[in-house]
Amino acid sequence: MNANGLSRLGAVVAIGVLGFLPMARLPAFYDSFLYLVFFWVSLSTSWALLSGFAGYFSLGHAAFFGVGVYVTADLTTKFGWPFLATLPVAAALPALLALGVGAIVFRLRRLRGELFALLTLSVTFVIATIILNTPIDGGGGIFMSAVPLPNLMPTPTGTIYLLGFILCVASLGIAWKVVHSRLGMGLFAIHDDEDVAEAKGVPTLRYKLIAFALSAAIAGAVGGVHAMYVGFITVSGTFELTVPLYVVLMSVLGGARSWFGPAIGAAAITALLYAFISGGEAMVGRAIVGVILIAAILWLPDGFVPAVKQWLAKRRRATPPPAIAEVAPVMPAIKPVSDKVLLEVRGATKRFGGLQALGGVDLDVREGEILGLVGPNGSGKTTLINVVSGFYPLTSGSVKVDGIEIGNLPAHQIARRGVARTYQIPRPFVNMTVLENVVLAATFGMEHSSPFKWGGGSVIRDGGVMSDTFDAAHDPSVGVRRRHLPRRRGRSASEIRDEALHWIGFTGLAGKEEALPAALNLHERKFLELARALAAKPRLLLLDEVLSGLNPAEVDNAIRLVRAIRAQGATIVFVEHLMRAVVELSDRVAVLNEGKLFALGAPREVMRDPRVVSIYLGKAYAA
Amino acid sequence: MVDRVGAWRRRRVLAGMMGGAATLAAPGLLRAAPSGKPVRVGGTLSLTGFLAQTAMLHKIASEIMIEEINGRNGLLGRPVEYVLLDDQSKPEVARSLYEKLITVDKVDLIQGPYATAPILAAMGVAQRYGKVMIQSSMGIPKLQTYDRAFPATPFGSEPDVTYPNVILDAMATFPAPPKSMVILTSKFPSAQFMALGMKAQAEKRGVKVPLYLEYESGNRDFGAIAARIKEANADFLWVGSLGLESNLLLEALRKLDYKPKNHFHLYPAPGPLAVSADGDKALCSTFIEPDEPFMSRPGMKRIAAEYKEKAAKANLPYPTIDAQACGMVAEWQILEAAVNGAGSLEDEKIAAWLRKNRVDTIYGKARFDGPYNHGDAAQLIKQVQNKEWKVVWPKELAAPGVKLIAS
Repeated sequence: MNANGLSRLGAVVAIGVLGFLPMARLPAFYDSFLYLVFFWVSLSTSWALLSGFAGYFSLGHAAFFGVGVYVTADLTTKFGWPFLATLPVAAALPALLALGVGAIVFRLRRLRGELFALLTLSVTFVIATIILNTPIDGGGGIFMSAVPLPNLMPTPTGTIYLLGFILCVASLGIAWKVVHSRLGMGLFAIHDDEDVAEAKGVPTLRYKLIAFALSAAIAGAVGGVHAMYVGFITVSGTFELTVPLYVVLMSVLGGARSWFGPAIGAAAITALLYAFISGGEAMVGRAIVGVILIAAILWLPDGFVPAVKQWLAKRRRATPPPAIAEVAPVMPAIKPVSDKVLLEVRGATKRFGGLQALGGVDLDVREGEILGLVGPNGSGKTTLINVVSGFYPLTSGSVKVDGIEIGNLPAHQIARRGVARTYQIPRPFVNMTVLENVVLAATFGMEHSSPFKWGGGSVIRDGGVMSDTFDAAHDPSVGVRRRHLPRRRGRSASEIRDEALHWIGFTGLAGKEEALPAALNLHERKFLELARALAAKPRLLLLDEVLSGLNPAEVDNAIRLVRAIRAQGATIVFVEHLMRAVVELSDRVAVLNEGKLFALGAPREVMRDPRVVSIYLGKAYAA
Repeated sequence: MVDRVGAWRRRRVLAGMMGGAATLAAPGLLRAAPSGKPVRVGGTLSLTGFLAQTAMLHKIASEIMIEEINGRNGLLGRPVEYVLLDDQSKPEVARSLYEKLITVDKVDLIQGPYATAPILAAMGVAQRYGKVMIQSSMGIPKLQTYDRAFPATPFGSEPDVTYPNVILDAMATFPAPPKSMVILTSKFPSAQFMALGMKAQAEKRGVKVPLYLEYESGNRDFGAIAARIKEANADFLWVGSLGLESNLLLEALRKLDYKPKNHFHLYPAPGPLAVSADGDKALCSTFIEPDEPFMSRPGMKRIAAEYKEKAAKANLPYPTIDAQACGMVAEWQILEAAVNGAGSLEDEKIAAWLRKNRVDTIYGKARFDGPYNHGDAAQLIKQVQNKEWKVVWPKELAAPGVKLIAS
């Protein structure tokens, strides 16, 4: 049995042993203490699903937990429901509440970050006020001593323990499943850069809603069980601020981006809170707990689990890498520029309040061509890229790709129709490795058939030397990660990974697979942008000043790479200020000025046009 | 002879001195110091968290009472050891710690925690293990459904009926008895419970209630509420407040140039309201104050003095013994009487003894044979006079020379 199998067997045995622990008739305190550990593990893990994974920092977890508490309290005491029958409702109502809140706030870009935290906190206050001022509670509290508890275990405490344990296992199972799925990958991308995630094909709104609903449902179910544990429910006790604060603290301490991190944090903090319970040392104990937590956060800013993972990764790197299979290179698929129009822009207008950035642009891009898009600053080049890629919705006009209107589609749907883009200032997912960045693009990229072929091709190597074949020499940990990559419809995880490795090699980043973007220089980050765009197998590639900031040798290197990309069959629109590159690369050049198409034609002819020279170049590029 | 006489005289003097010494030492000699294995009494208090400030009073009272009990004969001749844990003001922690006390620490007896929610959480545990639990701070007697739970504070079984009538009786003695009453209350369960009772009883006795308002516990902004109170301009203001809420409300009323004609406050922080200029003539609920006739109750003077010393040492802002601390004193007095009276540490016997007997406590005689094991109600009214709280009602328990003053 390999290590993976052993760990699975260990998990099954641990679940079995812990599940039947109350049968051992230990003193009830141990059942209770472990229940409270499970309670906090479930709550902190559920918080991490949205806030840790997607970075939407919520201070409103008490709202969902509290709704669950009151669902169970009211249904059992006022309507006579059996306790267990209330739990599905205790989970469902908070999930619906989260969907309702999320459906509004997730659409608004300005409600990210601290505003989202404050908004969720205010949701807690609103819910608490409603419950306090209606017969749901009314202010007198709900006493549940008369509610019968099912005899799932020999003792009532054992039954509560078992329910807490089931929810804990379910929470961890859900978190594990999310992390190892497309959903998890999308959420991590949202965490790092939501706009880029959307542009790479991640359905951000849907994913956030799913994560929010899952998070709220778990919190609600946990609340339902906890109502029985506490016995006397009050609004002030249920919706107190310490619930979200503890949950945040536990998740951050353990590692909020890890499926298991919040559990570690929750177990550690719960144990610490019980370490100093003696009446003589209560205050000193609290102070010691505070100091320990501050120290842990200072020393382990990303949390305990990520720190351990990093340490293990360093140990692994010390061992020689095993033999790695050679990745199949790309087959050149050079096709002549066809007459078929791939991108058709008609009357594209974009206004920002009183400012008109695009004033009715008409532009056709033919399949297989490279179109250079130039113009003075503020002429609308990047806005056009943003409109075509879906970052901005059109004010009026139309944008069609292959005859299909995409002008007002969400960015992720445009990406899935084969439109990929890069950013002038690279915007990698900073907490993902190079490989994970590219895998994400490969996972969420174009859904339909691609012009890209496998089999052989050219590779950019260090120093810009072209070679005909390459292998993907990479860190052994890449092999470990392989089995954790999510499967995409129609392609296995390892196929996606191999494609990603191929594009990493294609852009000359082989050997950097496990590096975080912060460890790359500007040149490499630009190429990572390209690798991500290529991994999406685009039909139309939008390059936004991909050459800016590069030195002459790097520019030459990049020009060769763009040609190699076109050789795979992609159609390219690139915004560029470097005229040498524009002339060398472009089949045609379009000049924008004041949001309108000013000139269009062969590069050298356009560059000689005195009108273009006067508005933009200042002098003729080529005599 | 002279010598003999002198010798006789010396013997008489010596005998007299020895006799005198023996007489002085007699109580100590007759009272055997407790010995043997300690009787372990477990309990939690909210020593940290939002209830910590009030729980500290209970802790000091407990320390005094354990010294008192051990200075007498302990429990069944054995010394008392108090196993005190911190429930962090959280009912769920209180529950787990009572399970720890009973199933892991295996204490002989338990004492109740502070505040309604932790008490109810602990009561469920006590019930599962059949432990007697005496508590002093649960303001809603009907929730005490466990037959071995006993109250140390004389709320009576229906304080929402009895206490409003104490207030209405006192109001009736005013030169111009109030005909209307504004009732304002925190939505804290025990305060709201009393407010609803006050409203019902006032209306029953023909006092109009033109305004009944509830606010969230811990509210800090009383501006809008004050405006409505001023507008209602009733003869009497009844406030179901906790902590500093009364101070904040009176300050908000002052900003509107409105002084309520007569005002009553349920559970305010005693010190800040007494010393505030707004608090002058404020009425409040109590069970006991450090004045006569209460100071003449057995042990009260000594306990009050010890409390003052310990509270000052602990830097408490109001180091005078009050009803909160006396509740804990009564808890220990009841436990001591019940264990020694039953002659047993068995909970069943202790509970049976309590149901059949009366106990002398700092609050007076307590009985436990009424509904929810509650006995007679003994809630009083105190009033701020010259920046001090003085019991003013009923008249027979008023501090010497002090009368209820209508505004």
